[in-house]
Amino acid sequence: MPISNENIIVADNLTISYDLHRERKKLIALQDINLEIKKGEFVVLVGPSGCGKTSFINAVSGLIPKSGGSVKVRGEEVTAPGPDRAMVFQDYALLPWRTVESNIRLPYELQNLGISEEEKKQRVKNCLELVDLAGFEKSFPYELSGGMKQRVGIARALATNPDILLADEPFAAIDAMTREAMQAEMERIVMETGQTCVFITHSIDEAILLGDRVVVISYRPGKIKEIVNIDFPRPRMNNSEVKISKTYAELRDHIWNLVKDEAMQTTRGE
Amino acid sequence: MELSQRRSNADYERGIEMAKATEQIQYETDDPNRIQDVGWTFKEVWRRTRGFVVTSVNLIIFFILWEIVTTYGNINSLFLPKASAMFQELWVGMTTRAPEGAVFSGSILDHFLHSFTNLMTGLAIAMAIGIPGGLLMGGNKYVESILSPYVWALASLPRIALVPLFILFLGFTTTMQVTIIVISAVFPIVINAWAGVKTTEKSLLAAAKVFGANRVQLYYKVVLPYTLPFIISGIQQGIGRGLIGVVIAELFGGSNGLGYLIQRSADTFNTAMTFAVLLLLIVMSLSLINFTRWLEAKVAPWRNVNHL
Ligand SMILES: Nc1ncnc2c1ncn2[C@@H]1O[C@H](COP(=O)(O)OP(=O)(O)OP(=O)(O)O)[C@@H](O)[C@H]1O
Ligand SMILES: [Mg+2]
Repeated sequence: MPISNENIIVADNLTISYDLHRERKKLIALQDINLEIKKGEFVVLVGPSGCGKTSFINAVSGLIPKSGGSVKVRGEEVTAPGPDRAMVFQDYALLPWRTVESNIRLPYELQNLGISEEEKKQRVKNCLELVDLAGFEKSFPYELSGGMKQRVGIARALATNPDILLADEPFAAIDAMTREAMQAEMERIVMETGQTCVFITHSIDEAILLGDRVVVISYRPGKIKEIVNIDFPRPRMNNSEVKISKTYAELRDHIWNLVKDEAMQTTRGE
Repeated sequence: MELSQRRSNADYERGIEMAKATEQIQYETDDPNRIQDVGWTFKEVWRRTRGFVVTSVNLIIFFILWEIVTTYGNINSLFLPKASAMFQELWVGMTTRAPEGAVFSGSILDHFLHSFTNLMTGLAIAMAIGIPGGLLMGGNKYVESILSPYVWALASLPRIALVPLFILFLGFTTTMQVTIIVISAVFPIVINAWAGVKTTEKSLLAAAKVFGANRVQLYYKVVLPYTLPFIISGIQQGIGRGLIGVVIAELFGGSNGLGYLIQRSADTFNTAMTFAVLLLLIVMSLSLINFTRWLEAKVAPWRNVNHL
């Protein structure tokens, strides 16, 4: 579905800070973030480790309180999580006492999504196939590899068919081959369903291939350093021309330099 | 350029077509036989039984050596009876009961039943108080700050120091014995349940919240299952403490129970009986603790035991 002109997520001077009780200090993770995300848009956040990417999507999901400014979803201030927003967690966050299938069904137990049991079964099956985990329904998370756990986390989020998908480095632990297949699936799903996706990655290639816009965040304080538009036609994943084009190389170089400058600061210390 | 223009309808249609094409791609890993049957190899049988076999052989050797030493060594049977005499005493004691109306029972079974019933009653009460108490302390910071000084104070006090006080309050009664068991067993249960709630992984709570859990659901879908193995370890420690409570209560004051029988048999120089009762205590304690271990493995298989 094409991107609409309607803003779905609006961050307005959003500031997020954490209390460091031990040192009687406050850590400002994100400062004055202004970002408007359109319905159906695929926005990728990149930036050095610890710059506040996870904090941003946690604020959008309503998991953490803001210290200043506002985040609105469909014009309403975010105060708590809602069924319209699903999340893929950086650390998987699977319940260890539940099987793969039961983990994916968790959202169905917690909220009434207004869908029939038939539909739920079908969705779970589809999502498991999508992440290539058919046959592992009855396995427990401790019996899975890191990449497999991560894929269960993806399936759990997709099974709710959310309007907004918040994905925190969802492919970080997945091997290159599977990763490429999953990127293609992700692009397909977002295009077909018109989902809005906020996606975090450390891979610049992934950012360019998936994103309509790539938001580069700076390190301490976390501010938006630059927003890079990516204009390649979709779908890009199985289009070999994208990766060999000159524009691609230029974009890659540009974003790489932006992130590198910031990453240098993290290693140098403040 | 507007975003909506950047992604045109033509792009979209082409996208659907290509997406359909990607669906045709079969992943290599579609093979359903990724999990293979191992079957009953010798190694598998040994892996399952080795613990039992090693322990059995070990114990048999131990008792045979004991028998040899006491038969051929110059050892006063008042201090160390023969292993066979101990087993004999245990067998007879567990298969006979005191006649109706007897003042003192020499049957181990009678005393065992008394102690065991008390232990179970005491543990049940300790769980009924300890589990909700610990959960409340972990879940509510006001309850926590009000109760925690008392919990720590009583938990750090050697429980044996309270025995004279309970005898004063309740006399030499079964109630006194059960109270001592409760007070011994309740604190490990409270503290473990409390710690379980407090250490529930943040990301699991976050996941449940994101997918729509309200406060109640957060408790019974995440906090409780997470805390369950903690509670079971609490009960396991509670059994150990409770058993100490049983014996102490009966040694100090009472006219029945295994603790009393130990005292009485030692006083009457029936050392074989004393040893028989000690052995029974060990077996009882180990059985209960192994039961909770089994239970823990059953309900929390993700908490793997490492064999380093
Ligand atoms: N719960 C917390 N308490 C205190 N500080 C926190 C907390 N969570 C995050 N921070 C701090 O906020 C900053 C941003 O963290 P965040 O997790 O958003 O980074 P990130 O960009 O997602 O990093 P990464 O790429 O490593 O996942 C970090 O410097 C971190 O130390
Ligand atoms: Mg992060």
